[in-house]
Amino acid sequence: MKRLLDLLLSLFLALGSATPAFAETTMEKIARTGTLTIGTRTGSPPFAYVNKQNEWVGFSIDLVEQLIIPSVSKKVGKSITLEKKESAPATRIPLLSSNAVDLIAETMTDTRSRRDSVDFSLTFFVTGAQFLVKRGSPIKGIKSVGGKRVAAQQGATNAKIIREKTPTAQLREFPDQPTAFQALAQGQVDTYTNDGIQLAGLKAKAPNPRDWEIVGDFYSYEPYGMAMRKGDADFRNVVNNGLMDGIDSGKFFEIYDKWFGPKGEVPYPMSPEVKKFLIYQAVPK
Amino acid sequence: MDFSVIANNFSFLISQGLLGFGKFTGGTLRLAIPAIILGFILGIFIGLGRLARSGWVRVPATAYVEFFRGVPLVMVIFWFWFVIPVLLGVPLPEYTVALAAFVVFEAAYLGEIIRAGIQSVPRGQVEAATATGLTSVQTMRHIILPQALKNMIPALVTQFIVLFKDTSLASIIGYVDLTKAAQIVNNREIRPFELYLFIAMVYWLCTYGMSRYARYLERRLSHA
Amino acid sequence: MRYQFDWSVLWSGQTGQWLLQGISTTLEISVLAWLLAGVLGTLSGALRTAGPRPFSALSAFYVEFFRNVPLLVWMFFWYFGIPLLLPRLAQDWLFAHGAEFWAGMFALGVYHGARFSEVIRSGIQSIPKTQLEAALSTGLTVTQAYRFVIIPIALRLLIPPITNESLNLLKNSSVALTIGVAELTFQTRQIETYTAKAFEALTAGTLIYLVLCLGLSAFMAVLEKRCAIPGLIARVTPAEH
Repeated sequence: MKRLLDLLLSLFLALGSATPAFAETTMEKIARTGTLTIGTRTGSPPFAYVNKQNEWVGFSIDLVEQLIIPSVSKKVGKSITLEKKESAPATRIPLLSSNAVDLIAETMTDTRSRRDSVDFSLTFFVTGAQFLVKRGSPIKGIKSVGGKRVAAQQGATNAKIIREKTPTAQLREFPDQPTAFQALAQGQVDTYTNDGIQLAGLKAKAPNPRDWEIVGDFYSYEPYGMAMRKGDADFRNVVNNGLMDGIDSGKFFEIYDKWFGPKGEVPYPMSPEVKKFLIYQAVPK
Repeated sequence: MDFSVIANNFSFLISQGLLGFGKFTGGTLRLAIPAIILGFILGIFIGLGRLARSGWVRVPATAYVEFFRGVPLVMVIFWFWFVIPVLLGVPLPEYTVALAAFVVFEAAYLGEIIRAGIQSVPRGQVEAATATGLTSVQTMRHIILPQALKNMIPALVTQFIVLFKDTSLASIIGYVDLTKAAQIVNNREIRPFELYLFIAMVYWLCTYGMSRYARYLERRLSHA
Repeated sequence: MRYQFDWSVLWSGQTGQWLLQGISTTLEISVLAWLLAGVLGTLSGALRTAGPRPFSALSAFYVEFFRNVPLLVWMFFWYFGIPLLLPRLAQDWLFAHGAEFWAGMFALGVYHGARFSEVIRSGIQSIPKTQLEAALSTGLTVTQAYRFVIIPIALRLLIPPITNESLNLLKNSSVALTIGVAELTFQTRQIETYTAKAFEALTAGTLIYLVLCLGLSAFMAVLEKRCAIPGLIARVTPAEH
C-alpha cells in the first residue's frame, strides 16, 4: 500500500513539473489542429453577440469567417474551422498568452501600451468613447460626470481615461458589457461609458431603444484591431492580408453594410474619411 | 413579471445550459458528473495520503489539503485558466480547465471526508484483520474501506451537492453552464428576476433531490 | 515565448493600494455577512430544533432553499432582482450607497446563514437529552440548565464546524466580484488587466487568502484547545465548504 502511494505521488509530482512543450508558432498550431480559435464577446452587439436564435454572430465574427479564415486556409493549404471562445476586456490578454485563443476578434482598442504585450492587426473600425444615459439625464459629456456614478467595463480603455480625466466620478467597473448596461437600466448607475458604436449597438438591441440617449463628444480615440500573441509576424501577415484582400475586393464593405448599413442591425454610415483611412491601410500587392 | 422569456428560451437553458448539448461548450451536468467521479478518486488518494505512515507522503498530502482549503475556488479557476497553460506551454480548453480546477479543489475536501471516514473505523478491526493473516492492502480493501464508506456517505453526498453548485463558477471563464446560459439570455432580454428565479429552481430541484437521497441513505445505513 | 517575471508590479504605482483596498473590502463584506449569517443561522437553527410548528417549517424552508442554490445565482438575484421590488426611494438610496456591496453582503450572509443553521442544528442535536435531565435533577431550573450547561457545551462543540463555515464565508466572498464588488479577487484581476502579469497578480491574491485563512484557523485552534471539554474527543468537522 505504502509503496503504491509513493509511486502515485511521484507520478503526480512528475506531471506537475512537466517541461513546457516546445514553442510552436500560431501558423504551425493552426496547421496542426486545423482550427483557428478566436476570443470574442457574447454581449457586444453588433460586433459579437448571441442573437435571438441563440447563435453567436456579429461584424467582428463575420470578418474572421469571411476574410481571415480564407486567408489562413490558403496559407496552410487546407480548410480551417473556426472555434469561438468568450473573452472580455479583463481576460483577453491572458487568454492569448496562455494559448487558449489565437486571435482576439471583438471590440478591442489598439493602444500603444497594449502593444507592449500583444500585436494588433490593421484597424478595422474607428470610434470613440461616449456616454449612454436614460433620456433626459443631466449628463451631457465627460465634463458633467463628476460626482456621478459611472459604469464601465473592467479592463477597458475608457475606465482608465475616466480615472485620469474626471477623478471625481464614482467609477463602477463590471466584468462585461451586459452587466454594466443592466446596472444602468436599473438606475444603479447614472451612465454607462463605452465606445460610441457599442452604445449604439446596445441601444438598438435594448427592449425599448427610445428610452436611451447617447451623449457627449468622443472623449477618446478608439481604433479597433484584432489582437494576437506578440512577435508572431507570419500570423499577423496572414491576418492582415485577409483584411486587405477584403478591403481591395469590396467584401469588407459588404460585411460592413450588412451590420451597419441603412438596413443593418445598427445603422451607422461610414464617413468618407473612415473609408479613405481603411483603403489607405491596404498596401499594394 | 413575464415568464414567457423562460418558455421562449427553455430549450436553450435546459439542453445547452444544464445538459451541454448545443453550439457552445457547456453544460452543468456534463461538468458536474465527471468532476464528482474524478474528484472522489483523487480524494481517496489524498485521504489515504493524509494517513500514510511515511512523512514523504503524509506531509505533501496535508499541505495539499491545507492549501486548497485556504484558497477560494474562484482563484483556483483563474490559476488553471491563465497560469498553468503558460507554465506547461500547452493550451487547455475551457472544459479541461474547469474540470481540472474542480477535481483538484474538491479532492482536498473529499480527501478530508475520506480520512475522517477511515479514522472512524475502530482500531480493533485492523488488528483483528491482521491477526487473521490479511495483508495491509487486503485489510484496507475488504475491512476498512467498506465500513468507512458507509460512515462517510452522508458527508460525501453533501460535498457532492456543494460541488454541483460550485460548477456555476465555471461561467466566469465563459463555460456555458446553466448560469451562463441564463446570463446570455438575460443580456438580450433583461429579465433578471424571472431568469434567475427559474435557474434557482432548477438548481434547487437537482440538489434537493440529492439531499433527499442522502437523508434516505443515512437512515437506511443507520439501521444496518 | 518565455514568460518574463516582474514582481515589482505588485507594489509599484497604484497596484499596492489596490491590493490593500481589496483586502479591506473582503474583510468588511465578510464580517458584515458573518454577523448576518450568525443571526439568521442561530435563529433558524434554534427554531428548527425547538420552535413551534409554523416557525420550524419556515426555518426548514429557508435552509433548504437557500443552501441548495449556488451562491453565484444568489449574487445576481440580490443585485439585479431584488432592487426592482423595492420602493423608488429605497432604490435610490441603495444605488447611491454602493448597491453591489450590499447585494453581495446579503447574498453571502443569507446563503451562509442557511449553512450556519445546519451546523447549529446538528450541534444542538448532538447534546444528549440526558444532559438536560441530569442538570435538572441537580436542582437547576430549565433556564439555568440551558444557561450553565447546555449552551456552554453546545458552543464549545460548535467551535470547529463554525470555524470551518466562517472560513468558507471568507473564501466565498470572492464570488462577489461577478457583480462588481471591488474585493480582493477583483483587485487581483484588475492588476492583471493593467499590467498583463497574471502569474504575479494571482500569486499575491492566493497568498493573501492563505494567510487570512490559515491565520484565522490557527487562532481558532488555540481557542478550541483552551476551552476543550475534558474527556470529549469528538470533533465534529464537516468538510463542506
